[in-house]
Amino acid sequence: MAGYSRPTDLAAALSLLAERRPVILAGGTDHFPARVAAGPAEDILDITALGGLRAIERRGDHLWVPCLATWADLGAANLPAGLEALTQAAAQIGGVQIQNTATLCGNLCNASPAADGIPPLLALDAEVELASLAGRRRMSLDAFLLGPRQTARRPEEMLLGLHIPLPVAPSRSVFAKLGARRYLVISIVMLALVAEFGADGMISRARVAVGACGPRARRLPALEAALAGARPDPALLRRAHLAPLLPIDDMRGTAAYRLDAVATLLRRALAGMVPA
Amino acid sequence: MSLSLSLTVNGIARTLDLADPRVTLLDLLRDRLHLTGTKKGCDRGQCGACTILLDGRRINSCLALAISHDGADILTIEGVAQGDQLHPVQAAFIAHDGLQCGYCTPGQIMSAIGLLREAQTGDDPERVREAMSGNLCRCGAYAGITAAVLDAQRSMADAGRAHAA
Repeated sequence: MAGYSRPTDLAAALSLLAERRPVILAGGTDHFPARVAAGPAEDILDITALGGLRAIERRGDHLWVPCLATWADLGAANLPAGLEALTQAAAQIGGVQIQNTATLCGNLCNASPAADGIPPLLALDAEVELASLAGRRRMSLDAFLLGPRQTARRPEEMLLGLHIPLPVAPSRSVFAKLGARRYLVISIVMLALVAEFGADGMISRARVAVGACGPRARRLPALEAALAGARPDPALLRRAHLAPLLPIDDMRGTAAYRLDAVATLLRRALAGMVPA
Repeated sequence: MSLSLSLTVNGIARTLDLADPRVTLLDLLRDRLHLTGTKKGCDRGQCGACTILLDGRRINSCLALAISHDGADILTIEGVAQGDQLHPVQAAFIAHDGLQCGYCTPGQIMSAIGLLREAQTGDDPERVREAMSGNLCRCGAYAGITAAVLDAQRSMADAGRAHAA
């Protein structure tokens, strides 16, 4: 029978990880649905008893979101203006039962192309911090995400938490998703838009990320460049701005429908954005 | 390897030995404790029929390993009434026809009790619908469910004021 451990201290968890390469379990909301049919026995490292890895806090110039912080924790955190997209995503990921257990870091490690949590974190330039017996390393979320269900996490590493830069200029952000119904549904597409504003009311810097339109969520650099120096105007959007997206046809929608939906959600996000 | 687990379930302390660490909280409640009011709908976190309160917060018990929650305080549908007196949410579901076949109802009621404890929705029906979105009802009793939650919220607030007066 497979082993199960629930250490209370990080060093013990990292030792186990180095020796046995177990599956890491936190909220479990992605782990169990994938294993309804009794799967092969696998060792489980349950990290839910590790101390000091739950509380979301401001640390200098960034927000620290440790690996046991749930979407409900994020939703209840009093985030500064500019991080609204995170609060909005926290309210739209699953139902409250899921939000009460699912963690942000688990959402990233699961690395579903349709993960709602990824576009806001990608647009906010989040960094991940990985820990192993060899030490810690940080990398951008963009570098961490390799493809569907694939990340740069090594088997002996665990994702310790996220660093999300706090806004330095007056900012607004928005999260938008489209599903076949309003709630509790896997998204057809979802996106996040982050805009920093200058004193003249113009966007000084824009960041846009789109999910469920390719193997992993993508930023749209050409659109970001087009928005810089402009008012948030839906008419600025061009088809060519969506070139990084490579959607597929599947049971939730066709590739053409997805691109059309992204364009519509982006226009609505821009039209609704009031300068900070 | 046998693992020992201590839980408080509906106010009663329980100590259990688990032969397999992979048993979910839902299977433990139903198969070991014979508390079959908590339903197994989808067994993958999509329907909410297995909703319970864990340390006062609603979760899907199908998505939790029992062993992960050693020491937890659990409330299931069997623990909400006071003897013959229904919980205000149970009474409101009956008064507003918040059910048809009844299969999703224990999960709906536990979710509604969790919602009222969170106290985030106020009396806005849209916020109630959003906060109840983790519970599916295939009979489509949603209108009655929303009315029942709002009514239970009012009656519990009235009872709280009467108690304080």
